[in-house]
Amino acid sequence: MTDGSYKHVYVVIELESGKLAPVSLEMLGEARRLMDNFNKKYKSDEKVVAVLLGHNVKQLTKTLIDHGADYVICADHPELEQVRNTIYTKVISQIAQDQDVAAKIANSTPKFIKPRYMFFGADTIGRHLSSTVLVDLESGLASDINKLEVSDITLTHQNKTGGKPEVYEKTLEMYRPDFSGFLWTTILCLDNRNPTIKRDYHPQSCSIIPGVFEPIKPDPKRKGEVIQYTPKIDPKDLKVKILSRKTIKSEVDFDSHKAVVSFGRGIKDSPEQNIKLVENLAKVLGAEVGVSLPISKKPFVVSQNLSSTYMIPDRVIGTSGRKISPMLYVAVGISGAIQHVAGMKDSEFVVAINPDDNSPIKDECDIFIKGRMEDVIPKLIEELKAQSTIAQA
Amino acid sequence: MTLNIAVIIKLEPDFSEGNVSYNPDGTLNRAETKNTLGPHSAIAATAAFYSKVRYDAKISVGTMGPPVAEMALQMAQRICDAEELHLYSDRLFAGADTLATAEVLKTGIKKMQGNIDIVFSGHRASDGETGQTGPQTAWKLGYTFLGNVIDYNVNLKNRTIRVKRLVTLQGFNDVIEEVEAPLPVFIAVDPSYKSLFNTVSQRLAYEKYQKEAKIRSDNYKQYLKVFNAQQLGVNPTLVGLPGSPTIVYKVERIPKGKANRQAVVLDASNSEHIRKAVAKMREALASMVIK
Repeated sequence: MTDGSYKHVYVVIELESGKLAPVSLEMLGEARRLMDNFNKKYKSDEKVVAVLLGHNVKQLTKTLIDHGADYVICADHPELEQVRNTIYTKVISQIAQDQDVAAKIANSTPKFIKPRYMFFGADTIGRHLSSTVLVDLESGLASDINKLEVSDITLTHQNKTGGKPEVYEKTLEMYRPDFSGFLWTTILCLDNRNPTIKRDYHPQSCSIIPGVFEPIKPDPKRKGEVIQYTPKIDPKDLKVKILSRKTIKSEVDFDSHKAVVSFGRGIKDSPEQNIKLVENLAKVLGAEVGVSLPISKKPFVVSQNLSSTYMIPDRVIGTSGRKISPMLYVAVGISGAIQHVAGMKDSEFVVAINPDDNSPIKDECDIFIKGRMEDVIPKLIEELKAQSTIAQA
Repeated sequence: MTLNIAVIIKLEPDFSEGNVSYNPDGTLNRAETKNTLGPHSAIAATAAFYSKVRYDAKISVGTMGPPVAEMALQMAQRICDAEELHLYSDRLFAGADTLATAEVLKTGIKKMQGNIDIVFSGHRASDGETGQTGPQTAWKLGYTFLGNVIDYNVNLKNRTIRVKRLVTLQGFNDVIEEVEAPLPVFIAVDPSYKSLFNTVSQRLAYEKYQKEAKIRSDNYKQYLKVFNAQQLGVNPTLVGLPGSPTIVYKVERIPKGKANRQAVVLDASNSEHIRKAVAKMREALASMVIK
């Protein structure tokens, strides 16, 4: 297949209760920046295409254009009001392969096959949809990306190139931070050019971590076109029914607390006692308790009660948990992996307690108290009580 | 009416203290770290066991991995009292991305006892963390995919299932969604899933199957079937490296970013420093900022 058969970046827009999820505009922003550079570098004119599924969503198309979309493919249908994986997967996959739709996008004819790149949100909606859509499109997918670049890559690879050097032009380099937060893995989705297993793999796709990329400044004068799409829905797929949807508030309430105290792997010397210390500090500060991602994997043995109260995904601050912005954030025994920082960087004032002043959290805090939490927290509690007594007197 | 269940699981690094080992630069030391049944896989097995207790289901557990992964199968059997354990193991499978892994798992599930009505998988692996293998396997099987499931009930007569899903989205409150679907389905179990056994008969069945699970897993080898690529009958160009669209191009240390804040470094052993820290913290809490 020639390179010209794959064009544009398709961004799958996410909604909740008819409203745009923030990640939708963040993805459009990154797609805009990426394609502006791309078009300059390759002297081409490929487009940012938003793919919008839902019901009564036509009024959102302008917002998408203002935020960087050149085209919005809009599938507005009562059966698309809620996300159902099978129906959504098929409609997105249809859109991605639809020649008539592509023909309405400038510079697509005559031989468009599939999009060049495709973006999804790395959350409850996009994570699953990206997986199933890409199986249907028979291509590859990288998850939880926080950096993207396009470059021409020369590669010698036993499987991909049969051991010979090959140049892969316009390749999307997809950077994903690993679970530790210290390593960046670059994933590429590449055609097999090895003659014995030759296969095209497009679109090159990824799911993008919410909260990482900035939307562009909306421009109400931006020009864009809306392409209405009538989805083909198989009646058999309608047997999957959404019976009810209930909004719940988590028992963990970061929003109404002015302070949050979080702990990480630094509790390891005496996990149970240290969690209790953190609990006490939080009590004195009137704070909610958060944790870093590794804690939610229950790496330490503590009482059932402490474990089920604190070592849970609901309390995770960071890219795979909550993003918070309290007045005061206290990071106890947290090294400051980038996933964690993404969740707390908007805090007003940050205090870190850590014995190691080389840990990355030092660059993310306003006060760094060097010391072991076992020593520091009791002193802080004592002093907090003393100062509040004076204030009340 | 029988119910046939599959659970797909993964052998993963054991992140518990004492078993996990980190390199000085903070990255995982894979050579020194022990392996275990992944925590999300364990939750998938727990969800399957609920069907054993409630519906007297037949359970098969499958995994793709090296021979040592049979340890994870044994651990899963201990949880869900499976009648059948499948290990898909071949050097040809090595280096598979999620798409190529899903191809092996799909083929394996089709070889399990009976026609599988429900497949359970974990939410995501603790080491890979992509969360893609489950939905991709579901799509290849042609099963309805239901993710983030926290509760389920099967209607054996109508061959339908009702599940509750936890939908979390940044910028919105969590939503519990109740979905009904005809069997077969593929369920990725949410980390917060818990089985509840309310009636006396359920609790008695629970005890009975727990005992059986212990005996079976002590003798897990007699339930174990190992398949290589040929025995499984997979197309070798769809598995392992040849079947993987994606490659890991490079791994690098994440460069240290520009410091976002200039920290004042205080010494915990200096009481004046502690006083200063607390004063600042109180100031932050007292400040009136409209959010």
